Amino acid sequence: MAHPRWPSLLVSAAMLTAACLLVFFPQRSPAHQQTHRSTAPASTSKGKGLASSPISFIDIAKTAGIDFHLTCGDPEKRYIMESMCGGVAVLDYDNDGWMDIFLVDGSTLADQREGKCHTGKLYHNDHDGTFTDVTAKSGISHCGWGFGVAVGDYDNDGWEDLHVTYLDGAILYHNNHDGTFTDVTAKAGVGNIGRWGTSAAFGDYDNDGFLDLYVANYVDLDLQHLPEFGQGLFCQYRQIPVSCGPRGLKGGRDRLYHNNGDGTFTDVTEKLNIDPNSYYGLGVVWLDYDLDGCLDLYVSDDSTPSMLYHGDCKGGFTEVGVKAGVAYSADGREQAGMGVDSADYDNDGWPDIVKTNFSDDSNNLFHNDHTGEFTDLAGPADFGPVSIPFLGFGVKFLDIDNTGWKDLFVANGHVNPQVDQYSFGVTYAERPLLFRNLGKGKFEEIGFKSGSALAHRYVGRGAATADFFNEGREDLLVSVLDGPPLLLQNQSRKQGHWLRIKTVGTRSNRDGFGARVEVKAGGFTQVAEVRTNSSFESASDPRLHFGLGSANLVDAIVVHWPSGTMDRIGPQRTDQQLVIEEGKGVVTPQPMAPRTASSHAN
Amino acid sequence: MSFVIRGIRTTSLLALSLTFALLARSQSENARASALIREGQGALDAGDFSRAIHDFENARQLAPDNADVNRGLVLSYLQAGRLADAQRIAESAVGRWPHDARLQHWLGLVYFKEGHNQNALQALQRSESLSPNGPDIHFDIALVYLAENQYPQAADELENAIKLNPNAALPHILLGRAYQNTNRTVKAIEQFRAALRADPNVPLGHYHVGFALASLGRDQEAIAEYQKEALRSPDNPSVLYQLGHCELATSEWQSAIMHLKKATQLDPKNADARYDLGKALLLEGDAAAAVLTLRQAAALKPESPEPHYLLARALEKIGDKEQSQHELQIFADLKKAQPATGGMATGPIQ
Repeated sequence: MAHPRWPSLLVSAAMLTAACLLVFFPQRSPAHQQTHRSTAPASTSKGKGLASSPISFIDIAKTAGIDFHLTCGDPEKRYIMESMCGGVAVLDYDNDGWMDIFLVDGSTLADQREGKCHTGKLYHNDHDGTFTDVTAKSGISHCGWGFGVAVGDYDNDGWEDLHVTYLDGAILYHNNHDGTFTDVTAKAGVGNIGRWGTSAAFGDYDNDGFLDLYVANYVDLDLQHLPEFGQGLFCQYRQIPVSCGPRGLKGGRDRLYHNNGDGTFTDVTEKLNIDPNSYYGLGVVWLDYDLDGCLDLYVSDDSTPSMLYHGDCKGGFTEVGVKAGVAYSADGREQAGMGVDSADYDNDGWPDIVKTNFSDDSNNLFHNDHTGEFTDLAGPADFGPVSIPFLGFGVKFLDIDNTGWKDLFVANGHVNPQVDQYSFGVTYAERPLLFRNLGKGKFEEIGFKSGSALAHRYVGRGAATADFFNEGREDLLVSVLDGPPLLLQNQSRKQGHWLRIKTVGTRSNRDGFGARVEVKAGGFTQVAEVRTNSSFESASDPRLHFGLGSANLVDAIVVHWPSGTMDRIGPQRTDQQLVIEEGKGVVTPQPMAPRTASSHAN
Repeated sequence: MSFVIRGIRTTSLLALSLTFALLARSQSENARASALIREGQGALDAGDFSRAIHDFENARQLAPDNADVNRGLVLSYLQAGRLADAQRIAESAVGRWPHDARLQHWLGLVYFKEGHNQNALQALQRSESLSPNGPDIHFDIALVYLAENQYPQAADELENAIKLNPNAALPHILLGRAYQNTNRTVKAIEQFRAALRADPNVPLGHYHVGFALASLGRDQEAIAEYQKEALRSPDNPSVLYQLGHCELATSEWQSAIMHLKKATQLDPKNADARYDLGKALLLEGDAAAAVLTLRQAAALKPESPEPHYLLARALEKIGDKEQSQHELQIFADLKKAQPATGGMATGPIQ
């Protein structure tokens, strides 16, 4: 009997109707899943197009003499604190009119145990495109595992002071006016003792003329009992073992220190009901979002709701994050909030907020609706979708080409180096993102075609802006985990006119932090608030930079001081720095500095 | 003696005659059985499983110990969906022919269709050990693994299946899905595209490419794939939902509203589509319509806090602050009830 010719079994295939396939394939949208997103190519324009790009940044850190190397744990990043270092600060510590640099260093578990010292490094701007390491003689000598840095003149003596956060506390360095600093932490009472601080920010929330201090705390971590790598629900990323946290770990309660005006501070955290749930704080920015003349505070939290504290002008706060629409994603979900910044990106006169998040999630661009509420317009602005594959940390508004429209820079880098061992499409090092503001609420991501330095991948963390060379262009300083920082000099060929304003408070705090400055030029008005601290663990140039496009005259300037006073200033030349003193107006116009030879290096 | 011999001879002749008679009858029955097997096989090929069962049952009356008859019967019952009968025959046949790879394979499939995945896996793996290159065996083992959410194992089997038959589209689709579920989306897309190359009409081929692209944040490319799928399956609510979802993500609100409305009409219980529709309406500026839609979404998924959050914001927009506050409270209460998941280590919050 002939053997039958059995059909190739189609039983299984026949089962796979479209309906069956949908059973195998969840119908939920990708955004509702833990899906992965690949990083965009590191460079799509290498070797072509760069020369013709109107926007260009070059990394001059090495040639400028910045020899810093950020140490932050072991390369495997087995513990959460090994991924979170990277504070950078821009400050003019010697009041010579040029922005200097302070870089916070981390440490390693072994170095901590062996007592090996890691201090931050202070670099003096030599006015010629180079910097000199002056740490040794600066008195900045605290050894520890550092994270963030805040800059502010807390005692109104006209010299910028430094506050540095550590894994187990914080240090306040008072500026001695001679290039040295003194550790005054104990006297000042801002030691954040036993807490792991990340970002910190100075701001005068009660308008008493003295800068108060907010310190975001992340996780209460015991180095003797660290959570075991890869062990447990919160130690997995896409089913692979990674460092644990922050979920599953005890959150650190943020601290708010009120400046008593005598060199000391009072911890008012409990009194003002700050961060009662001890969320995982990472980013801080002071802003006056409702233009009532009193500072409000936005804190980005990791894996927990972010907080918006509305200042009541009487020294109190109401937390309104959920109502204002900035606590969660547009879908009401907690995000892994990292860096924050604020600026009026659409020139409607109201400050907006930007926040970076984890990969697989969009960064936020919270547009101020003028009603006490914000709407996340990251999608419509073409700012959010492109950010989804990236894990954002530092973020800064800046005007890269002096058009008068604030652009955006985002430093990216994953927290788990283990992702490189898998074909997730996510990489540990990621390229930064640079968004050009096209006006009308739209951005275009141009990082990959803005110079090779921006096309490379880094494990980016802190980011700050400054005009380091006093030439009317905003540059960038970016920390890189386990590597040297990037000093990204703005080499963009096409630049509009500009105006830089340094505020000096008299009744208000000396820095003028919180002052709202309106500049009218070229037919429209720009508004900006004075601050240094924002981004991730970082502090930027406190001088306000206004791009003016083709306008060759500033029609008017109005400064709303935190004290309530207002200075109105008449027409001014463009392309210069103005020092505006509260009650006096312009006291020192400074023309644009000539470009230095070394600024054309590379 | 001679009588005895003669008697013996007579008996032998009689026996021989009987044997010949029986042999003749047996040959006749075998021939009939063979014919029935061929007819049953034809019926199977024609998809007439009832007739196949009838033919193979009749064949079994004639040749109960014929392996092919038993195979045919198992396959006929299996194809006809008469799983209990298929299981009974298959188990009996496997007891009789334990080294028959096909019978083990089909017994495994019977178990699988009955939902007995562990039994299925054992039978299929026995079949695989007997005939490692048997048709579809890796594919079918993969199906069981997929049903058990064991994606890495499924991927291994599907990779083997594709080696044996690279031109079949479905293994590529399933391998892509196994990759996607183990976060290897880039490789998943390669497989989905391979499936489409093998068979441009493979069910939901473009849907899968679109889904994977969307999960990479490549929404515009995903939209193009979903649009292709929507042309082939204009009434598939899942396709329309995903298309609308991506359009919402890319701020193409009007298209999103159109597709999401259709998706909700076709599948009124799809809470995610209704939620997205409410979100799109809110972003488009129609807060009143958004309120209505989001209330429906909240009702469909009462345990989900997200619709209440968006509803609160929509209510705020139409000036109903009291109801907005009420919805925020529901949102907060539902949030508290949710287990803590996600974060730095685990990625986005679910």
